[in-house]
Amino acid sequence: MILIDNVSKSFNGSYAVRNLSVDVENGGIFGIVGPNGAGKTTTIRMMTGLLTPDSGKIIVGKYDIVKEPIKAKSILGYVPDKAFLYEKLTAREFLIFISSIYKIQKSEALSRIDQMLELFGIKDVGDELIESFSQGMRQRLLFSSALIHNPEALLVDEPFMGLDPFGVRMLKGVIRDLSSKGVTIFLATHSLHIAEELCHRVGFINKGALIAIKTKDEITGIEGGLEGLFLRMGE
Amino acid sequence: MLLLNTKFLSLKNSVNARVVLKRLPFILIGLGFWVLFYVGTYKVLSYVREIIFFGEILSKKLFSMTFFSLLGFLILSSIITAISSFYLSKDIPLLLSKPVKIKDILRLKALDAFANSSWMVLSFMPPVFIAYGVSYGAGGEYYLLIFGCFLFFSIITTGIGITLAHILTRIFPAKRTRTVLLGIGMALFVLLYFLIKGLIPHDISTPEGLISSIMSFRAESPLLPSYWIAEAVFPVLTKSGFDVFYALILFGGALFFLLLSEITGLKFYRTNIERIQPSGEIIKKGVFGGYYPGINTAMLYKDIKTFFRDTGQWSQIIIIGALIMIYVYNFKSIPVNALSGFSFIGEIMVLVNLVLSGLVLSAVSARFIYASVSLEGQAFWIIRTSPVDINRFIRSKFLYGFIPVTALMLILVLLTNLAMNVRGLLMYVSLGTIFMLCVSVSGLGTGFGAIYPKFKYENIASVSMSLGGMAFMLIAFSLILATLSLEAWIFYIANIGEMLDVTGKLQIAAAIILVLLINACAFYVPMKIGIKKLREQTGII
Repeated sequence: MILIDNVSKSFNGSYAVRNLSVDVENGGIFGIVGPNGAGKTTTIRMMTGLLTPDSGKIIVGKYDIVKEPIKAKSILGYVPDKAFLYEKLTAREFLIFISSIYKIQKSEALSRIDQMLELFGIKDVGDELIESFSQGMRQRLLFSSALIHNPEALLVDEPFMGLDPFGVRMLKGVIRDLSSKGVTIFLATHSLHIAEELCHRVGFINKGALIAIKTKDEITGIEGGLEGLFLRMGE
Repeated sequence: MLLLNTKFLSLKNSVNARVVLKRLPFILIGLGFWVLFYVGTYKVLSYVREIIFFGEILSKKLFSMTFFSLLGFLILSSIITAISSFYLSKDIPLLLSKPVKIKDILRLKALDAFANSSWMVLSFMPPVFIAYGVSYGAGGEYYLLIFGCFLFFSIITTGIGITLAHILTRIFPAKRTRTVLLGIGMALFVLLYFLIKGLIPHDISTPEGLISSIMSFRAESPLLPSYWIAEAVFPVLTKSGFDVFYALILFGGALFFLLLSEITGLKFYRTNIERIQPSGEIIKKGVFGGYYPGINTAMLYKDIKTFFRDTGQWSQIIIIGALIMIYVYNFKSIPVNALSGFSFIGEIMVLVNLVLSGLVLSAVSARFIYASVSLEGQAFWIIRTSPVDINRFIRSKFLYGFIPVTALMLILVLLTNLAMNVRGLLMYVSLGTIFMLCVSVSGLGTGFGAIYPKFKYENIASVSMSLGGMAFMLIAFSLILATLSLEAWIFYIANIGEMLDVTGKLQIAAAIILVLLINACAFYVPMKIGIKKLREQTGII
């Protein structure tokens, strides 16, 4: 479903991502972990079309994100690490806007919006301006907007940012459920215990290069789990 | 001082050789317009001073009228920027959470408000002052004096603006600042209306009446800072002595109003800040509550909704509204009868009207069209990661500005033409011209805004006041002047002889082609470059 093939990206002459190759199958949950500045966010931004790779290619579904960006983006959902939204819209209006630009029919959109607001626990504040939302509520709204069009792949940068324990538990359930329905999930995170718990495979990235990929079973057998492995690799 | 240091450091870090080089074209355009302003003011001044008996008095009148208009404009602009700086800035929560005295925050924000409200006026006035100095052969002491006095004058307007901003935010009970601004806007319009109404009590249908009405312009109230500055500077300009009294009053006034703004701030700021916090306001569905936009209208619909809810955006209408009122009133006051003896006066008045409406068009476009792409702010990632083509996005932004601006300009030109008894061909030509200019200037503005977007802004007004915004305004006005000059040339060629020879016809054809070509290029080229730039844009993330 997601193919990252030998992708590199540099800024002002220094590599942010170098010769990265990853393949994620349908319904797979792939986590990418690494220290600050390792290249996780740059990787996700290239996958969403926000940045263009200097070399290599990224395929989402059947589409190359550089050559066919509109088709690729129409099957992607994206949750960024910073929740900049349209502050003067209400949550419901924002979701209507997103539904419109994803060309969802009115009746379907309205019912999906209600579902999403309910699922992410923000139905009560659906008609309030986003400017009054807390970080956690914004994160819930971001997820709602990323899933409103039933994407085939979901890209998430720091999924649990600002969420309370209820929110974390709910979101873990949602991610597992999506995966079981065949949605491919690619997430970048610092929360190692959550990555360990959720991801089918985890990639370690440092200084822009992928150091290793471990499956859930491989991580379980390692002393100290994912955290132990992370600390050893980061040294 | 420590707080101020952060401003200097930010400035230092954002100015480097690369930035200066990138902005060099804008700086050159600005300098070009300085020269134009200088030449224009000098010519007008030379003409006025040559009028027998009244010349010198009129020249002084124009001098004080300039400051009188600036007084109103600067106070208005200070109120709006003070509300943004003191109450809507993004750094306020951080500052309030630190062990910083309120007094220091107030001083920092006062400096912000001063810089933001007066930088444009401060940078465009020097050519006018220099023109006066050269015309009167004034010495170095005049330039030093006017610089100092104008600085105090601007500080006075900032002080008044800040004080009023604190008081108005306090008085209006609503938590939403837009209600406050609506109040300010209404109050100012009423004030302006009565002010203008009282300004011209004389019959202006004859040249004598016109001069007499200018003479009775009440900018001379000794209570107004515009009077103080005129009285302090004019004697030095004309080398007839120096009255230190008014210079001291200006200095004292600047100190007084700064102090007053600080005392008002100390009294109201804390409470006001708490009153305006967003507090889960539920938005009622309204007339279009059930409307579900399609992909073509979704962005436009979102922008319109945001516009009416965002104080920072629509408060700018107040300034534009004041500008338009003054413009319309000027045309209402034109002594058509007194001028009817001159040949081509109808054509000349239509041309002058179009030039002035072009000025309004440039200013309105800078505020609403140039800023429209930047309006997305840091939420632009939503568009970039959605299956929306940037072409479609730009088209939507174009329509967002083009439709209201065109409607406004057509109505303005129609009304002012009617006020001047312009009918028939001249009316059609001027309406056609302004429509064409609206298309090209809207394209130019959308394109320029996409080439130089500013997604990280404190308030949207700062986008149109940026260097890119100013450059756009000047280029747009140049386009308007070029178009109107070519059209005037066509009219001139067509009317000088009864029969047009081949050269004349060729000249007309060439001028028409040139008009269409420059307008088509202004519409198309910047948008094309803007689309390319936005696709490559990584600055928002």
